[in-house]
Amino acid sequence: MLEVSQLQASYGPLQVIWGVSLHVEQGEFVALIGPNGAGKTTTLRAIMGLVKPLSGTIAFNGQTLNGLKANQITRKGISFVTEDLDLFDGMTVHDNLILGGFSLHDRAQVEGTLESVYDLFPILAERHRQLAGTLSGGERKMLAIGRGLMLSPSLILVDEPSLGLAPKLVLAVFEALKQLHERGSTILLVEQNVYTTLHMTNRAYVLENGQVVMEGPSSDLLRNEHLQRTYISMGAAGEGGFPAPADGGGPAL
Amino acid sequence: MNLTVLWNLLVTGILRGGLYALMAGGLALLFGVMNICNFAHGELFVVGAYVAYFAYVTFGLPPLLAILIAAGASFLVGALLEKSLILPLRRRSKGEWIMNTFLLTSGLSVVMQNTAQRVWGVRYRGITQYWAGTIRITPTMSVAVDRAVAFLIAVVGITGFWLFLRRTNVGRAIRAVSQNETGAMLVGIDLDNIQTLTFALGSMLAGLGGASMLSLIPAYPFAGGKPNITSWFVVTVVGLGNVGGSIVGGFIVGLVESFAFFYLGSGWQDVFSLGVIILILLVKPSGLFGSEVKGVLER
Repeated sequence: MLEVSQLQASYGPLQVIWGVSLHVEQGEFVALIGPNGAGKTTTLRAIMGLVKPLSGTIAFNGQTLNGLKANQITRKGISFVTEDLDLFDGMTVHDNLILGGFSLHDRAQVEGTLESVYDLFPILAERHRQLAGTLSGGERKMLAIGRGLMLSPSLILVDEPSLGLAPKLVLAVFEALKQLHERGSTILLVEQNVYTTLHMTNRAYVLENGQVVMEGPSSDLLRNEHLQRTYISMGAAGEGGFPAPADGGGPAL
Repeated sequence: MNLTVLWNLLVTGILRGGLYALMAGGLALLFGVMNICNFAHGELFVVGAYVAYFAYVTFGLPPLLAILIAAGASFLVGALLEKSLILPLRRRSKGEWIMNTFLLTSGLSVVMQNTAQRVWGVRYRGITQYWAGTIRITPTMSVAVDRAVAFLIAVVGITGFWLFLRRTNVGRAIRAVSQNETGAMLVGIDLDNIQTLTFALGSMLAGLGGASMLSLIPAYPFAGGKPNITSWFVVTVVGLGNVGGSIVGGFIVGLVESFAFFYLGSGWQDVFSLGVIILILLVKPSGLFGSEVKGVLER
């Protein structure tokens, strides 16, 4: 479905992606993990056309995305929930969601999707007349994900949904992503929260210094020694910006 | 002061206010959505005035049709200017965007004024009225039909514009771009199209002002100077980029000018207005309705 090969890209004047290749197939839940500054966000931004790749190709369902603008890529059916969410703070929850379906012309479809988003995130239904700028952190994440869903996308890119959230809310957001996957969505998730992420995804890529250093089924990576040492044990100790799993043990996600 | 004088000052103030609200609303839209300091806004007022004059006087079209044509022409001129000047600037501008738009539009204003002078000369092209007659309210209080209709046009223009921004999908998209460009792109909104449309809409509002006020301000190459500065005055007082506030502010400034003109004498109304702006900005630098939230309607 999504095929990225030999991607090189820079963040400002600094090249941060050095030949990243990855692919996501229909119905998969794939994670892109790695430390801060590894180039995870830049990879997603390059896929969406928000960062112009220096070289390499990005293809979606056989069509190349290189050179397209973000709004054109969105219209191909890819939703991107960014790290800073990029909500329309001065508009209501309802208007934010309706705008999520801006590129769809079938009103009935938009209304139908709106219902299913409210079904997935009941809190958004409760607050539908409230301004997005007045929501709490967790609600904002849900609104951003909900807005992304309004497109009825074939692929959803989610960047660091756990960032800045209390552990309890992190679990709620992850639970929502897991439900989405169960309902048939294809997801590419960028996370620093390695342990939880590997528990709920099918496959994962480990990005370090702008290169894929490891890839494979998440369950295998979970047992990998290098990962154990660098991320998971650190995470368990609550250091280095990788929060420990909220419920202490393996979350039943 | 007797009632008749007060009445006349109110009528003049509110009528001017309608014009300023139209002009400033457009200007605020341009700043709120595109961060453009448009100093050629007055020239679009002149475009509207000229087109209305030629349509009404030269071609003898009915007044309302002439005004509509003028608004449409200003819309097109605005779209053309955006695609040919602002868009290329946006592609090239690395920093100092606001300063660049100021320089570009200031230059554009000079070019447009001199082109008009070259083509049509400096003579005034005005009309005494579109519509004859007066509406008499009491024996001493009356208002010319022409002015009442001009005011009505301003109100309809502003209301239509407001509803468009609030209720339609495209209007929502414009507001979305004003609040978060990345977010707007990520829901599939084409920024280039929205920006061209925004500039065209702002230009249309200015042109509508110029066309409907033709009996008060005749078309001539430099007619845009005063409306331009006054609408800048309005948007600065209420807080840059705030469309709703600019509409309210337009009426406030119209009334202030009208009364200052009467009590202080001609020529002093600008001194008074600018005095007010300095005082307001000293107390509240972000403007009367200024706030931290970015967006053209949401304050």
